[in-house]
Amino acid sequence: MPDYPALTEDEFRRLCEYLYRQSGMIFTEAKRYYVERRVNERMAATGSQTFASYFARLRINAEEENEHFVNALTVNETYFYREDHQLQCLSTNLLAERVGKKRVGDPIRIWSVPCSTGEEPFSVAIWLLENWPLVDNYEIEIVASDIDTRALEQARQGIFGKRSLMRLSPYLVEKYFSPMADEKWKILDDLLNSVQFSTVNIVESSETRGFGRFDVIFCRNVLIYFDDASRRMAAENLYENLLPGGFICLGHTESMSRISPLFEVRQFADAIVYQRPAASRTRG
Amino acid sequence: MPTRLSTSAPPRAAPVAKQKLRKTGKAAQIAEAAKGIKTILVIDDASLVRLYYRSALEAAGFKVEEAMNGIEALEKLLEKPVDLLIVDVNMPQMDGFTFLRLLRQRDTAIASIPALITSTESGQKDFEAGREAGANYYLVKPISPEAMVEFALMFCGLPP
Repeated sequence: MPDYPALTEDEFRRLCEYLYRQSGMIFTEAKRYYVERRVNERMAATGSQTFASYFARLRINAEEENEHFVNALTVNETYFYREDHQLQCLSTNLLAERVGKKRVGDPIRIWSVPCSTGEEPFSVAIWLLENWPLVDNYEIEIVASDIDTRALEQARQGIFGKRSLMRLSPYLVEKYFSPMADEKWKILDDLLNSVQFSTVNIVESSETRGFGRFDVIFCRNVLIYFDDASRRMAAENLYENLLPGGFICLGHTESMSRISPLFEVRQFADAIVYQRPAASRTRG
Repeated sequence: MPTRLSTSAPPRAAPVAKQKLRKTGKAAQIAEAAKGIKTILVIDDASLVRLYYRSALEAAGFKVEEAMNGIEALEKLLEKPVDLLIVDVNMPQMDGFTFLRLLRQRDTAIASIPALITSTESGQKDFEAGREAGANYYLVKPISPEAMVEFALMFCGLPP
């Protein structure tokens, strides 16, 4: 990669403002090094000589540069059975409560957003097969969405490396994956087919609305990238995507109570999750 | 469930070690080999459910094929018959009852393959509809992996 000069304070500020308007993601001086590296990668990839020419390219969205840049910025560090205490909570508490209000054969809808390269939604599927004895008694629908189209493309392939599988027992790896060359594993077709992938920007209600309502939403480690306003918008959009009584699971460092008052806090043995109240409530 | 092959004593008492070997070793091997050549077709539109039954049956030594609906199942059977059918009821394009009725009307050997219905419906009318369509047995979901294997063994004529 060529040695580009550092961005000036003004350039960095204008870039961050633009990024915020486009995606709702907020980056401050603290993240300058990280952002600059991604900018330099994209400048090299597009053959831009100066930041000014790259920024112009970004602003007119030449050859979908907006998308490429957002893809470069979103971190896709994830693995199977990450924060599995929440999966434990899903099978022992959340679904037990949800099916109490359903008839056998009814759909149970679970949304993994952002789903990154697919580890989370596939983890949900494997966890349910292994730990939830009612798996054939309801129509389980797992929807997986992300703003990052490159990550989604990878998720749809269902091919994973050693790092992604590090938390899975050899028994589970053998049961649900077939080995490929170069220490890669391909997930079984039945699992691949059990998850529906799609793009979404959770800050845009016009995009989230089309997904309908879910019993459980996993929205882990993304709200931390947003500023207060976007975070609240995302939370309110996701609230609308929950059935009354439906649950939302956040990352372990995140707390909904600081973001939006709409949700009720539920404490279970394995996890704290947030719930859309079962009775309708006037939004304030 | 405890598995037992025979309770009758052999005419000449074999040494205990040998007897034990015969029961858990050779007999078990024969049963395993028999299961290995028995093929089951799982017909269900939900890929998670197919995988759920498939995992249980494969772990017990069966060979498993899959179909997403009645039409796909008929196509697969015309290509290659199987030893047992596990048939969901509510499926797009062709439901389980229609599939079984069409299968039973055929005049080739595949018409008589034993079939287990799997369904979330548990009313008397549903059981009757299953029998009329030509099911050999009707299992109400949820079906545990153990129960699935138990019925598969039974309908394939294998020892439990």
